[in-house]
Amino acid sequence: MNGKALPVIVGALAVILITLSSPTINLSPSRSRLVIATTTSTVDSGLLEYLKPYFDSRFNADMTWLYLGTGQAIAVASRGDADILLIHDRVREDAFVNSGSGVHRVTVMYNDFVVIGPKSDPAGIKGCTNVTVAFKKIAEAGEQGSAAFVSRGDKSGTNALELRMWAGADVSPRGKPWYIETGQGMSPTIRVSNEKQAYTVSDRGTWGKLKSKLGDTLGLQILVEGDAALLNPYGLINLNPTRYPNINSDLAEKFFLFMISDEGQGLIERFEVSGQQLFFPVFGKPESIGLPSEKAEVQFWVQKLREEGMKPPSWIQSDSQVPSDRV
Amino acid sequence: MPGWEELFYGVFRALQLIFSGDPEIARITFLSLRVSGAATLLGGIIGIPLGATIALRSFRGKTIVISMINTLMGLPPVLVGLIFYILLSSTGPLGFLHLIYTPEAMMLAQLTMVIPIVAGVVITSTSGIDVGLREAAISLGADALQEVRILLWESRLGLLTALVVGFGAAISEVGAIMIVGGNLLGYTRALTTSIVLLTNQGEFVEAIALGIILLALAFLVNVVLTCLQMKSRSGLFAQTRSTKINRKVEV
Repeated sequence: MNGKALPVIVGALAVILITLSSPTINLSPSRSRLVIATTTSTVDSGLLEYLKPYFDSRFNADMTWLYLGTGQAIAVASRGDADILLIHDRVREDAFVNSGSGVHRVTVMYNDFVVIGPKSDPAGIKGCTNVTVAFKKIAEAGEQGSAAFVSRGDKSGTNALELRMWAGADVSPRGKPWYIETGQGMSPTIRVSNEKQAYTVSDRGTWGKLKSKLGDTLGLQILVEGDAALLNPYGLINLNPTRYPNINSDLAEKFFLFMISDEGQGLIERFEVSGQQLFFPVFGKPESIGLPSEKAEVQFWVQKLREEGMKPPSWIQSDSQVPSDRV
Repeated sequence: MPGWEELFYGVFRALQLIFSGDPEIARITFLSLRVSGAATLLGGIIGIPLGATIALRSFRGKTIVISMINTLMGLPPVLVGLIFYILLSSTGPLGFLHLIYTPEAMMLAQLTMVIPIVAGVVITSTSGIDVGLREAAISLGADALQEVRILLWESRLGLLTALVVGFGAAISEVGAIMIVGGNLLGYTRALTTSIVLLTNQGEFVEAIALGIILLALAFLVNVVLTCLQMKSRSGLFAQTRSTKINRKVEV
């Protein structure tokens, strides 16, 4: 009896082991993998998934990404566990480059943050053009127990912006009963706000995508937008290949060039969710949205683009490299 | 009620995904199976002898060791993930292995969780075996190795349970593989990490569908293991204890 059963078990285990050890995952080992450390917004909005087939086929690559907040993305990249950074917190972006971990940084695209909240708007901030004033009103309503605010609380770029807004409004919200910290990404945080009928700050991209997904179950709306303080520029940073010899720096440079090229910037411009454009290409013309000039970097990369036979975006004049004023 | 709709469509979508043979879903499902299956098998290979040894030997500090194993049975996956991330990170102490964000790293992290679970269940199940059996085996001239084999054989139902529990913990775990695997599309994206991502993105129907595939997978594995258990109880493996001992000792 025993003699019969054992071979069955051993056979079954052998089959399982062989199946498990077969090299199934990397079906196309010839394709080189790129790991982008990025913020939740570029993933949740669907932008990277949209760009992937264009990049993959052009460079015979396998573009993947780590779905992180800006804080974690920087921590992971500074350990050499990603090939390139696409994030949105200028202060930490510059610190990363200044520390020698990053080499080149350009502003590649932007959108803006919006303050969203319940349709009933208990703090009365709808249509407010000054976000600092709106935050003060939310804090006042919060103290009276009629409103709540949901924060990412995860050291992400959005969290950093939100904390700057509170500092500007001279409010220290942490620990207050009306101030909720989720410690999660943008979409989960919006969903918590929805359940709590509370205010929060979101990038327009994630908000637009989630709204198109959740539809009527999302009882929130945009209340404050358009203040220059709500600008959300995304930085593209390549890593120091000397410090991180194991990263795929060749492919990372290809991705950098792809994103700032006429093709990449055009793709970003044409990316829409529910008929709405979510990201605005801005390589080479950060001045147009009130950011400091990046002339040296732009000249360096335009030169690189030409060496690689790629076209710079149309708003960069072919001879002078001075960004033209585009409407 | 939109909630019921999502659950209903989730089930429907799960069936659709299973029968459409979507390559991405197949790859995700297979990765989960491969990582957790390998972790369970290796966990069994290491955990069963470990548990049996601890259960059978008397040594100083045995209570402490068993308490430690029982504690580790509840090891938080996210902590395991973080520790392995720091170890395997490119600039970490084991960075030279280039394992970060690979299925192998995911398997290692799950293995770390499965070993104490298997060992713990094995300790419990082998401790329950009749002391008389051991004494009989020894009195019939069994050496130490034969004694262990007999005891393992007698506790085979417990061993299968240990593997079932270990596999269940591994396949349903998300905290560790999210950190060490990175949830890279087409490479380290598993069922549980996909569910987290889809939930974050508000794709509830797809998330439910993957959850149902995960459950179905766990169910299938359990059916196979339970069949083995039932068979071993009802005839295929059944033998009287004495003939068993005699045979083993004679060998």
